[in-house]
Amino acid sequence: MGTIVLNQVRKSFGGHEVIKGADIRIEDGQFAVFVGPSGCGKSTLLRMIAGLEDISGGEFLLDGKVMNDVSPEQRNIAMVFQSYALYPHMTVAENIGFSLDLKKTPKAEIKRRVGEIAERLQLTPYLNRKPSALSGGQRQRVAIGRAIIKEPSVILFDEPLSNLDAALRVQMRAELQELHRSTGATIIYVTHDQVEAMTLADQIVVLKDGQVMQTNDPIGLYKEPENTFVAQFIGSPKMNLFPAKVESVAGDVVRIRTDAGWPIDLPAIEGLRAGPVQLGIRPESLTLAAPHEPAEIETRTVLSERLGMETYISFETGGEPGIARVPGDHSLPSGTPIRLAVDPSACHIFDNDGRAIRSQSA
Amino acid sequence: MALSKTSTKAEAGRYGVLIVLSIYCLMPFVWLLVAAFDTNAGLFLETPDSVSLNNFYRVFAEEDGLRWLINSLIVCGGATLIVMLLSGFGGYALSRTNAWWKRPFLYSIILIRVIPPPALIVPLYQVMLALNNGMRWLVLQVVPREHMRDVMQIVGFIDGYLGLILLLATMHLPLALWIMKTYFDSVSPEYEEAAVMDGATFGQRLRRVLLPLAMPGLAASGLFAFIACWDDFLVPLTFVSSPELRMLPIGIFSAFLRANEIDYGLLAAIAIVYTAPAIIAFVLARRFLVQTFGGGLKG
Repeated sequence: MGTIVLNQVRKSFGGHEVIKGADIRIEDGQFAVFVGPSGCGKSTLLRMIAGLEDISGGEFLLDGKVMNDVSPEQRNIAMVFQSYALYPHMTVAENIGFSLDLKKTPKAEIKRRVGEIAERLQLTPYLNRKPSALSGGQRQRVAIGRAIIKEPSVILFDEPLSNLDAALRVQMRAELQELHRSTGATIIYVTHDQVEAMTLADQIVVLKDGQVMQTNDPIGLYKEPENTFVAQFIGSPKMNLFPAKVESVAGDVVRIRTDAGWPIDLPAIEGLRAGPVQLGIRPESLTLAAPHEPAEIETRTVLSERLGMETYISFETGGEPGIARVPGDHSLPSGTPIRLAVDPSACHIFDNDGRAIRSQSA
Repeated sequence: MALSKTSTKAEAGRYGVLIVLSIYCLMPFVWLLVAAFDTNAGLFLETPDSVSLNNFYRVFAEEDGLRWLINSLIVCGGATLIVMLLSGFGGYALSRTNAWWKRPFLYSIILIRVIPPPALIVPLYQVMLALNNGMRWLVLQVVPREHMRDVMQIVGFIDGYLGLILLLATMHLPLALWIMKTYFDSVSPEYEEAAVMDGATFGQRLRRVLLPLAMPGLAASGLFAFIACWDDFLVPLTFVSSPELRMLPIGIFSAFLRANEIDYGLLAAIAIVYTAPAIIAFVLARRFLVQTFGGGLKG
């Protein structure tokens, strides 16, 4: 069992508050990812759950029991560190079996369980090696082995893939998902990489400046961001935000005009009144319009990045350039006039404080 | 062709100069080795008629060589142990703390190394004398007067082991603290946190994780402290008066001064006895010094 509940959890260092009342619920067996820019407090939150940092305020409950003052080793939580922190003077087998050895488990029992773990993580040939003689991926697996041998109900990962090369990351992501499936443990995984968060998580907690901005499953976050921060953090390239005004609400149609003068008609949204708003359009919701097709946006290119299968087109907006992600290869030198069509059903409206405005039914 | 010829010549010339210089530098050591085993050793290097251990026999049997050696080992060993212990814990604390006084403290302790010891010797002697008087009073309370001298040779601050050990340890602690502080800066706190998560108690973390990781640093600070104590001449000269407490460097010095005719064989033998422990300390420490721990961390 490993259901985690954080109730108004706070953390201060000196007078400086780094976690400002976090409310998070993670169900037993879920793969949860804390994501946010560096300095958002995600690692601090993880270390508080581990017991490496004390909790300044609020409650941390594991399976309904308050854990605030329970020592780390009694929480039945394991942690894989950002640096792995394998004991360099011990062999792989000693590293994996260290926690059992500390508990005075009989040698034969340690050997058997280390053997099982090694078998599962394909580390058997390396059991007598020191960490210095292992590759990055193998070290990662030793760190995982050291965590799972304790049969914890919760495993914490602190940016474990951050220094691996791209190919190894993809492979390790697959291994982590397999690990989650086979252990059934609750996993909390910290990363600043939204792609990692999207691909691994059952539930993503987006953090900014010590506050939870939104909690949802990956697709929920992508489709229904509650604020401009989440909207721009999830998805790559990031969502375009255009300052705009609600011009008119007529029946089922709302007309919005961006400050650059582009009129965009959207399905009516409850509670939307005339006045300034921010219009969010994901780059992938913009398409290049053929000359005879209708198009809301008429502008010029700033830059086009050709990736072969798709092209990222930066275009003039009067302020920060917008970006469109269109399929296929397009050679568009800087300054080329282009027309872009907007998918009205994929537009997001935010008020001036950055909060999403959407119909309750949507 | 011509070019390669000149460069070969130039190379031979460079090596020639280096060889001559090396021989010049090595000569005193060769003389020391040869003279120590030659009963008729003189000031000049000569092939001995016969190799004999007679000089060494005289160091230990006729002179007080064994006592000097043991005294040196007790004092320097004790001081080194204290330095390693304090620099280990202190260096760890200095590395992990973010206290405002950290930098001022580190710079002020290194001042102790900057001030030349002879400049401090008089005030130091006064401090030690005051401490010694205090200790004498304390000892008098518990020990009968007839054993006073024996006890004070152990716990006295002047003409006693304790004073020598504490004084030498204090003199060589700052550098060791710096070494250990810098060393622990390179030891990631995540090792300890990993051990906490593995369920290690404070004692287990210290013994099974921190101590093995700190060994190269401790070996370096211990070696430097031992060699510095071993080489120190001023402290044993100033603070020891009883012949029973005399240490090796003073032993050599007194043997050098004593006779009308200088006994070169005997002096060389004492010098060898004096050098050997330093070399042994180096060999012991070297094993840990070269031990590099890689691979525990990423990157």
